Amino acid sequence: MSKVNSLLSRRAVLKAGALVAGAFALGLPATRIVRAEGSSPTGSNATVGKQLGFRYDQGKCIGCRRCEAACQIQYKWEKGVKWRKVLKKQIKNSKINESVNNFIYLSMSCNHCAEPACVSVCPVGAYQKRAKDGIVVQDPTKCVGCGYCVVACPYHAPQYGEGSGTVSKCSFCAKLQDNGQKPVCVAACPVKALTFGDLAELKKTSGTVAQVNGLPSPELTKPSLVIIPKESK
Amino acid sequence: MGKWGWLLAIYLFLGGIGAGAYLSSFAAEKGLIGDASSLKKTGYYISAPAVAIGALLLVFDLGQGLRKPWLILGMFANVSSVMTWGIYILSAFILVGLVQAYFVWKDTKAPAILTYAGAVLAVGTMAYTGLLLSVVKAVPFWHTNIMPVLFIISALSTGLSATSLLAHFLEKGEVKEGRVCQTHLGLVSSEIIVLTIFFGLIFSGSLGPMAVLSAQKLFYGSLAVAFWVVLVSLGLVGPFILYAKNAYNQRKYVSLAVSPVEALNLAKKEQAATGTQAKTAICICDGAVMVGGLALRCVILFAALPVWNTTLS
Repeated sequence: MSKVNSLLSRRAVLKAGALVAGAFALGLPATRIVRAEGSSPTGSNATVGKQLGFRYDQGKCIGCRRCEAACQIQYKWEKGVKWRKVLKKQIKNSKINESVNNFIYLSMSCNHCAEPACVSVCPVGAYQKRAKDGIVVQDPTKCVGCGYCVVACPYHAPQYGEGSGTVSKCSFCAKLQDNGQKPVCVAACPVKALTFGDLAELKKTSGTVAQVNGLPSPELTKPSLVIIPKESK
Repeated sequence: MGKWGWLLAIYLFLGGIGAGAYLSSFAAEKGLIGDASSLKKTGYYISAPAVAIGALLLVFDLGQGLRKPWLILGMFANVSSVMTWGIYILSAFILVGLVQAYFVWKDTKAPAILTYAGAVLAVGTMAYTGLLLSVVKAVPFWHTNIMPVLFIISALSTGLSATSLLAHFLEKGEVKEGRVCQTHLGLVSSEIIVLTIFFGLIFSGSLGPMAVLSAQKLFYGSLAVAFWVVLVSLGLVGPFILYAKNAYNQRKYVSLAVSPVEALNLAKKEQAATGTQAKTAICICDGAVMVGGLALRCVILFAALPVWNTTLS
């Protein structure tokens, strides 16, 4: 209900402010609009129900990309679209010379954020944050292909496919999970670097962080990803 | 920024022009910019078509626009999306603008509520084109409340230019421009000030390092020509000088006059004296303002960098 009320007040503020004070006065209502936007209507769901998340252990990851491949095989990504990416970076001042340890990796998909930008910007409401587990699912049959989610997601999770003219993204294998199965990426990881579970539990793992290696601030969307950084150098 | 390119820039530009044109005629009708009777109609005529053409371009820009166009109806669905607000505002504005234009064309008085509703929707349209970008936290260059203010000022300026330019050809007989030059001088000056504040904010670092990189693309990077030559020189500084010169000349005549009638006569003399040369200059200037407005939207879209570019540091 507060959603409806706040929208009305936003509009009222916008209109009143605009008429009275003209162009310059609009700076003020705009502030209110942006702030109201921050309090996402879906944010409340995340606190009520469980929030599932990924845990990624940079020290364990061997960069085999099986998580990526398993996802690609399962969901047959269209050309130019990647639901999960394994990012790679060479460590410069590494004291360890074995080739396998000279890189750091980061396997990333959609982070099923607590305050997902995609959910709030999508004009057609193709995105839903599930109340029961906090998974952000997207319905490609609703997508008009406007690309707003593509620019709004700090993690580049929604991916636009030129072929289909629609956006798609990681669903956390919501359908498989509903049948009691694991996400395919997690199941494919040979070294258990990528795991998943209740975010509150995952956060209790010692040494986890939400931001490493230049990732965007977790304050933007509150991602459901915990990372155990590599003890390097 | 991904698939957001030229078409979106033109869409934002036309949305601004249509809304600004409506408000130009609205201001002329209400006597807010002096006795500018030449502008009382033209702005109303171009408002709805400009916005509608822009909206049509957006349809071409959508991945499903030509494949499953019925999905566009779904764009009314998510009231938390700024784009959905835009769909409501633009649809209403196109409708109101068309009805208003019909009344003006028939030379009958439009209901005041309609005219005022159009003005409110015009402000909404202008604000929307900026808000669409400013709510995107993942693009630091856009994520500031300055964005809607900048887009509103530029929309008013380009809309006024489009209206004056077209009125010059449409309205036969005596040209009455009132305080258009003074108004335009104010708008162009405001735009220069707001842009200065915007870049000041960016280079102070308060929008983050990616915003600085974006601004550097404009200042001495790949978009420097579009920024310095087209936007700053052609679209802002040039018009500023001409409008300032004209406004100064007109003020001279107004201050000489003891009565409004005399002022009018003096103004007529002044117009006759400067003749077609000055009119041509104003027309070119109006064109330059519009080209600058398009350049503004283009450089803001093209300079945008994501907060994170999927590389590890």
